[in-house]
Amino acid sequence: MLEFTARRILYSIPALLLVLVIIFSLVRITPGDPAVALLGEGATEAQVKALREQLNLDLPMHEQFTRYVTGLLHGDLGTSMRTNRPILQELIQRLPATLELALFATLLALVVGIPLGILSAVYRNSWFDQAARLFSLVGVSVPAFWFAIILQIIFALLLGWLPVSGRLDPLVRPETVTGFLILDGLLTGDYDAAKDALRHILLPAAVLAAFYGATVARYLRANMLEVLSSDYIRTARGKGLAEVKVLLKHALQNAMLPVVTIIGLKFAELLGGAILTETVFSWPGMGRYMFEAIKVRDYPVIQGATLVFATIYMLSSLLVDLFYGVLDPRIRLKG
Amino acid sequence: MELRQPVRILLMAVVALSLVLSACQPAAPAVNPPAAETEPAAPAGSDTEDPAPEGEPVDERLTTLVVAVDADPANLEPATNRAFPIGSEIIINVFDTLVAWKAPDFTTLEGRLAETWEVSEDGLTYTFHLRPDVKFHDGTEVNAEAVKFSFERTLELNSYMTAYFGPITDITVVDPLTLTITLEKPLSVFLSWLAQPQAAVVSPAAVEKYGDEFNVHPVGSGPFMFESYIPDTEVVLVANPDYWRGAPRLQKIIYRVIPDASTRRLELENGTVDIAQQNGQLYSVPVEDIKALKQNPEIEVIEVPSQIIRQIDFNNTNTDSPVADLRVRQAISYAIDYDGLVNDLLGGTASRVYGPLTENSWGFNPAVKENAFYYDPDKARELLAEAGYEEGELSFTLYSFQGTLWGNVAAFVQANLADVGINVSIQQMEFPPYSELHRAGEFEIALDGRQPWYNDPDAHITIGYHSELGPTAMTFRMPEDPELDQMILEAQAAPTQEERTELYYEIQDRLMEKVPGVYLFSPNIIIYKRANVKDLVVNSAPPLNEYWSVYKIAD
Repeated sequence: MLEFTARRILYSIPALLLVLVIIFSLVRITPGDPAVALLGEGATEAQVKALREQLNLDLPMHEQFTRYVTGLLHGDLGTSMRTNRPILQELIQRLPATLELALFATLLALVVGIPLGILSAVYRNSWFDQAARLFSLVGVSVPAFWFAIILQIIFALLLGWLPVSGRLDPLVRPETVTGFLILDGLLTGDYDAAKDALRHILLPAAVLAAFYGATVARYLRANMLEVLSSDYIRTARGKGLAEVKVLLKHALQNAMLPVVTIIGLKFAELLGGAILTETVFSWPGMGRYMFEAIKVRDYPVIQGATLVFATIYMLSSLLVDLFYGVLDPRIRLKG
Repeated sequence: MELRQPVRILLMAVVALSLVLSACQPAAPAVNPPAAETEPAAPAGSDTEDPAPEGEPVDERLTTLVVAVDADPANLEPATNRAFPIGSEIIINVFDTLVAWKAPDFTTLEGRLAETWEVSEDGLTYTFHLRPDVKFHDGTEVNAEAVKFSFERTLELNSYMTAYFGPITDITVVDPLTLTITLEKPLSVFLSWLAQPQAAVVSPAAVEKYGDEFNVHPVGSGPFMFESYIPDTEVVLVANPDYWRGAPRLQKIIYRVIPDASTRRLELENGTVDIAQQNGQLYSVPVEDIKALKQNPEIEVIEVPSQIIRQIDFNNTNTDSPVADLRVRQAISYAIDYDGLVNDLLGGTASRVYGPLTENSWGFNPAVKENAFYYDPDKARELLAEAGYEEGELSFTLYSFQGTLWGNVAAFVQANLADVGINVSIQQMEFPPYSELHRAGEFEIALDGRQPWYNDPDAHITIGYHSELGPTAMTFRMPEDPELDQMILEAQAAPTQEERTELYYEIQDRLMEKVPGVYLFSPNIIIYKRANVKDLVVNSAPPLNEYWSVYKIAD
C-alpha cells in the first residue's frame, strides 16, 4: 500500500506539469489583456504598455513559462497582478474556508444521504421510498442560488435564527490557529466564536449538501437494491443472521464502493465549483478567488489556483482508491 | 408496520435538527438604550468633546458602521491604487490629502493637510503651507518631507499616475511645514489630482517598517486608523481619537465584502449591514430592488446625480464606415427615446445627459442643453434618406458589456434604431475582450461608459477626446482635430476656474457639432442606508464617501 501511494504520487507529477502547460496557454489564448483589464476603463496606451512591462507580459511566452516554473520550483507561486500580494499567502488564507465548507457539506450530505439511500432501498416502493426519491430528485434539480436565497429569506430574514451570509459575525474575531473557524473556536476555548461560526456555515453547507446528499442517496439506493438481490445476501439471511447485520455489514459495505467514488469526486468538485454558493453567502473561498481572478485575467492566480485544484483532485482520488482497499480486502493496491 | 423504523428515524432527525438550529439562535439582543445622547454635536470644532461619557455602557453596534461592498478592496495603499472605487474610499478615510473637494457640492477645493497654498504668476510653482501639529497614526509627524516622500513613491510605483504626476519636475522641502512643487508647464487641473487617493500622504516611518506589507498595513493621518484586513471578507477601521478635525463620531467601520446583490439587500433589510453602495455601476442597480427598498421605513435610499456618462460610441475614424457620415450619427442620435430610456427602462435611477459633461460638473455649458438631440424619429429617417440610405439598408453590431441592465439598454437602442430602419444585432461581452476590441477599433457602434476618476471636467474631456491619447478604451474615435487638442490642453492649464470654465464651454460646443457619440444617460449613485445612520455626505465623483461626520442613533 505504501508503494502504491508513493507510485501514485510520483505519477501525478507529469500530470500536474501537463495541467500547468494547458492552463498557462489557455489563459493567454483567452481574449482579454490583463493590463487592460486591471487598469480599467480610463487607461491610456502608455499606461497599458508600462503595466505590461511591469508584469513581464511583454516577454515571449516560453520565457514567461520558464520564469514561472523556476519560481514554482523555489516554492514561489508568484504575485497576484490584482492585489500585488504573494499568491501562496492568498491561497493559504482562502483554502481553509473552502475546505471547512466542503467538509461540513460532505458530513451533512452523508448524514442525510446514506440513511435515505439505505432505507429507501430496504422499504422499496413504500411511501417513504417515494418521498425520499422525490427529495433526491428535487435535491439534484433545484438551482443552488435559488435554494440559497430561499433559505436566507426563511432562516435569516423571517425566523432570524441564522445569519444571512459571511463566515463570522464581524464583531466576533477569535484567534486564528488553523483557519478552520469552528475548530479554532474550540481549540482556543472561545466557544461563542465556534458557535457563531457553526451558525454561519449551516446554510451554505445545506445548499451544497442538498445536491450532494441527493446524489449519494440515489446511487446508494440503486446499489443497495442490486446487492440485496444477490446470492450471498440470500445465503446470509438463510444462515439466520440478524437483518440489521445483513444490511449494514454485508450489503452496505459492498453497495458503498461506487458511492465512495462519487463522494471523492463530489468533494473535489466542491472545492472549486462552489462559486455560486460562495458568492451568495459571501464565503471567502477558493471558488470566488478564482472567479475574481478570471474577471481581470490575473494569470498567475488562475495558474496557481488551478494547480491547487489539480493537486486536491489527485489526492482525493488517491484517497478513494485507498479507501476501496479498506472497504473490500479483495482489492489489492498495486501500482 | 414496516414503516415504523424509517418514520422514527426521520422524526429523530427532525428533532435533532431543530435542536441544533435553536441552539444556534442568538440570544435576543439586549434592548439597551445607548448611553450617549443620540444627537452628538457637529464634529467640527468638537475636539474636546467626548463621543460617549465614560463608564456608561455603549452598544457596540451603535458606534460601528457596517458598509457592504461588492468586492475585495484589492489594494489599500495610495501609491499603487489604480482607481479601484472601494480601495479608494478606504484610503480617503485612512489618509489625508493636501486638498479635498468641499462638501456638499464638491465644486471648490479646500485645504486639508495644506492650510493654504499659492501658485506662482507663471503657474509653474505651487507652494503648500502645511497644517502644524498633525500626526500620523503611528505618532510620527506629518511634514513636508513626508509629502515629498509620498508623491515620489506614487510616481515610482504607479504606472497609472505617470500621466498625472509626470509633469512634476521638482519637489522641494523649504522647511518642515513648507513645500514647493514645480511643474514643467502650467497645469491648473494638477490641484484636482492632488485631491485623489493616489496623492494621499503616507507615513514614511510605517512604509519603512512594513515594506511590501504596507498595502495591508496602511498608516496615514486620516479620521480612521486601519485595524485589520481579511481577504474577501472585511476591512476594519477604528476611530483616530487625535484626528486634527476632531475625533470621528463612529468608533469603528467594518467594510464587509458581499459580492451578491441580493445578499447585500437581505443583509441590509436584516439590519446586519448599515450601508450598501452601488458604486455607480450600471449592472448592480436592479430597479425593482430600489422600488421595494424605498417602501421599507427602516431603509433610506440616497440618490445622487453622478458624473458618470453612458453613451453609444461611434468609430468614425474609419472613413468606409457609414458612421463616418455626420448625418448617420445625427440620425442615430435623433432615433433614441431618451426620456423613455431614463424614466421607463431605468425607472428614474438615472438622468439624461446632453453632452460631453454631466449637468452637475462645474464645467457644464448650459447652452449644450439647447443644442442637444431630442427624440425625433421622423428627423432621423429624413437624415438617413439624405445620407442615401434606404430603410433597412444599414446594419450594425452593437457591442456591449455583460449584465442584464446593459442588455436591456442595448435592446432598447436596438428597438429605437429598428424603428427608423437600422438593423442592429447585439453582442454582449466580458470586459477584457470588449476592451481589446475597442482598442483595436474593430467596431462601428458600441455601448460604453465613462466614469471620471477625479472631480474635474478634465477627467471626461482629456481622456475622452484628446487625440494624443490614441486608441485607448476611453477615447472617442474621431478624426484628429489639432485645434481641439490645443483647446483641451489650454483648458487644463488656464490659471483660474473661471477661465477654465470658459474654455470648457467652447470645447463642449465644438464637440456637440462633431457628434462623437450618443450621450444616453448618467446613472445616479445609489446608496442604501439604514434609517438610523445620519450625516452621510455623498460625493458625486469618486472617491465616494467620507465617514468622518457619520453617526448612528438607536432605532
